Amino acid sequence: MTSPYLTALFLSRTLWGGVPMTLVFAISVVTGLVMLVIFRYTSNQQAVKLAKERLQAQLLAVRLFQDQLPVVLRSYGRILRGTLRYLRVAGGPFLLAIVPMTLLIVQLDHWFGMEPFRPDQTFLVKAQFAPNAPLDEATLQLPDGLVADAPAVRIASDSQVVWRVAPAKYGAYQVNLALNGQTFSKTVVVGSNMPRLSWLRTQSFWEGLLSSAEPRFPKGGPIESIAVIYPARDIAFLGWQWNWIILFFVLSMIAGFAFKGILGVEI
Amino acid sequence: MSRNHSRHLTVLAFIILVLCVVTLPTRSEAYVGPGAGFAVLSSFWTLFLAFLYSVYALFTWPLRQLYRLVRGRKAYGKARFKRVVILGFDGMDPELAEKFIQAGKLPNLAKLREQGTFQKLRTTFPAISPVAWSTFMTGVNPGKHNIYDFLQRDLGNYLPFLSSAQIEGPKRRLKLGKYSLPIGKSEIKLLRKSKPFWHWLGEAGVFCSVIRVPVTFPPEKFPGVMLSGMCVPDLKGSQGTFCFCTTRAQNDGARQGGVIIPFQKDGANFRSYIPGPDNPLIADSPNGAPNSTAQSHEMRVPFEVRPKSADTAEILVGSERILLKVGEYSKWTSVHFKAGFGITAHGICRFYLKQLSPELEVYVTPVNIDPKQPDLPISHPLTYSIYLAKLNGPYATLGLAEDTWALNEHALDDAAFLEQCYSNHNDREKQLFDALEKTTRGVCTCVFDITDRVQHMFWRYMEEDHPALQDAPAEARLGNVIEQLYQRMDDLVGRVLAQLDSESMLMVVSDHGFKSFQRGINLNTWLRENGYLVLKPGVDETGEWFQGVDWSRTRAYTMGLNGLFLNVKGREREGIVAPGAEADALKEELRQRLNGLADPENGKVGITGVFNSGNVYAGPYSINAPDLIIGYGDGYRASWDGVTGKVTHQIFEDNAKAWSGDHCIDPRLVPGVLFSNRRIQVEKPAIVDVAPTMLRLFGLQPPAHFDGKAWPVG
Repeated sequence: MTSPYLTALFLSRTLWGGVPMTLVFAISVVTGLVMLVIFRYTSNQQAVKLAKERLQAQLLAVRLFQDQLPVVLRSYGRILRGTLRYLRVAGGPFLLAIVPMTLLIVQLDHWFGMEPFRPDQTFLVKAQFAPNAPLDEATLQLPDGLVADAPAVRIASDSQVVWRVAPAKYGAYQVNLALNGQTFSKTVVVGSNMPRLSWLRTQSFWEGLLSSAEPRFPKGGPIESIAVIYPARDIAFLGWQWNWIILFFVLSMIAGFAFKGILGVEI
Repeated sequence: MSRNHSRHLTVLAFIILVLCVVTLPTRSEAYVGPGAGFAVLSSFWTLFLAFLYSVYALFTWPLRQLYRLVRGRKAYGKARFKRVVILGFDGMDPELAEKFIQAGKLPNLAKLREQGTFQKLRTTFPAISPVAWSTFMTGVNPGKHNIYDFLQRDLGNYLPFLSSAQIEGPKRRLKLGKYSLPIGKSEIKLLRKSKPFWHWLGEAGVFCSVIRVPVTFPPEKFPGVMLSGMCVPDLKGSQGTFCFCTTRAQNDGARQGGVIIPFQKDGANFRSYIPGPDNPLIADSPNGAPNSTAQSHEMRVPFEVRPKSADTAEILVGSERILLKVGEYSKWTSVHFKAGFGITAHGICRFYLKQLSPELEVYVTPVNIDPKQPDLPISHPLTYSIYLAKLNGPYATLGLAEDTWALNEHALDDAAFLEQCYSNHNDREKQLFDALEKTTRGVCTCVFDITDRVQHMFWRYMEEDHPALQDAPAEARLGNVIEQLYQRMDDLVGRVLAQLDSESMLMVVSDHGFKSFQRGINLNTWLRENGYLVLKPGVDETGEWFQGVDWSRTRAYTMGLNGLFLNVKGREREGIVAPGAEADALKEELRQRLNGLADPENGKVGITGVFNSGNVYAGPYSINAPDLIIGYGDGYRASWDGVTGKVTHQIFEDNAKAWSGDHCIDPRLVPGVLFSNRRIQVEKPAIVDVAPTMLRLFGLQPPAHFDGKAWPVG
């Protein structure tokens, strides 16, 4: 017989995914509210309201004059035009908010998007070299706590070398890639909590901005990037496992719609 | 950058945005963030609803057509015209119309006269808008529709009540401390009887759009759309109570048709409030219990005025900030009166900054029922008023939306009043043209009140000797306001004609004409002086509504604009005149003595006809009619005091109010107009004929109880 305590614990874990869920919830609600405020001050609220009301009027027209087929058809056309007008007036603030929102989400993804490796979980370290770099001379130097699980695989056509590594114990490590007397390091985390993770270290500015939490490699060097693919983190909510971004998207919107009346924002 | 270029860039950015939203991969959806989500979700929701509606409408359309066939709703098959449009110009006078046509000022009405019809339209007894429009729509005399005036008298206490509608609060209430929670709904009763012609047409499958026809509150159900007109109350439940806030010292807070409220100075700013309805949840409020003191639980919306410069001020009300110059109106502004327990009364009003210095004066229109969130039904279906408000923005919903009392009481000047009238009129025009677009087949009826209100208030400028002009400086006189009004209406007719095809018929009708109102006659005073009305011992003059009248010795009294009542035993609470022979004899005696009553000041005849209601009305509700109908002569009308049941010492008195023209006189002197783009071949058409004519035009037989006769239309 299952203990009621365990059942309740199981249910609570599947309904609400602990600390990550709490944090995602809080961040989503705050973001929804901030977005509302940004929307309020960057949009033409009168124009948004007007566009919405005209749309609603056409919806009502379809209902009110349903026996007058030409009227109904005309209203459909106006609904389509009105929808585009609404998207146009609401689109400006979106364009303004997209840059800070993107950067925010990139940063949050380092915490919520991935899980650290567990001690029993092997992983791959992929190094992308510059064209014509001497792949055979590249060696991976592992710190105490990480061991190589298999010989390196060199894919000359892609200028890529891949190592399989097995973690032996918890810790935050630096793996070093040595080539031509130079050393290129990359952080690897083995653990069970929710550290800030960076799966990529790269030369590229844009890749670094959107995917990395580590300093960039020097431009023009023999190593273009080193990547370790952390397992994706799923967060339990209402009995399902979710990617945090979907939860963030939905919860922030719900928060926005819930507070729009209180804050007096037309969206 | 050119405007065009900038527009292209905007369009390009918009297209990119849409493409991003549609094509971004799954993980990146959140990268557009909740902002875009709001936009996409809202528009998606609209499209989704539209899709649902379209599926519903398209799939049920054949079924609805079948239903109409089965129910015999095939009136279009026998219709003379695909569409009939009636423009009601309240109070348009045939003599003035003729005069302006002759002067070449009204080309469109002249065209109707040449190619179709222009005749005088006989009005009702009495020639009062609610009476005449009720007859217009029902095709019956007042004895069958029960409307004889704006007011009706309560036989139990001789007090007036609104003749067209009655609003009663919920009968049961639950007391919770100081609160008294209503259980159940308020009951709103339409007191007008008989069905309007659009009911019969709708039953037969003819779609009708009816805009602001008087005495249509509360709205009746019928297969069509309707926006209620004259007699719709304001949020306070009155027929329009304006608010005038001022820093000027005042003796009292009451004015006819409005209230005066002082400003409280707060540093450089000024605070006041908009009075609203009484809180329906408070136990001893007028709506909550009978024993209450007026205004004790009046709900209020505070506002603040912040002077910004010598001629500009900011008004803060709710979350709105309104910047106004002196002499400027605000847009319609939402005001919410909170009763408690989440119950809110929704209203709209406009502010007018009349003056900033030396005294601050702000006029606030009566608080209209918000058409977007109507707390009382003002349209059928209920969503029609919402639809119009969302389509064109908020609009005046009050029955008597043009604030004539504010001009009478000098809360507004001529120009501000005119601006208000035309602003309301513009909204009405938008409603008409939308109804024309929506009514591709059927009937479109719209009544415009501006013709009535402007003639009432500006007639004085057409007469050099009008008493209302005594103190008006020559430079302030607006000479051709009425002529411009007629031109404006003519222009409207032209624009409507341009919308009509060869299968359409247009009628322009008015309920009555207009004449000057220079002198008032207080018939209650005449009755007193001639021994028919007796005051209690020691009373020299009465207050309003017969305070101080000794009913046990009074045989006759007048109330309202044209009605004279006998104090009949068994009918009135303290009646003393025996019904039958005694009453008939008294009626005849009064009729003979009042008919031809002359003004001692100038010898003119003040009363040109006194009509026995028994000869004028027929129908089940003629028991509610006045016993005699007074037909005042040209230039005369019931005096302001006489209308409200005051007994004074003056029978005849000058009318010095801005309300200087009127029509509540001998109905034979104030016929309305009938214009049409079709030949109507009838002698002496009457307003009672409109309803049967409408039915005939769509192949229907007018019901037997109709009093009017259908016109032969060429």
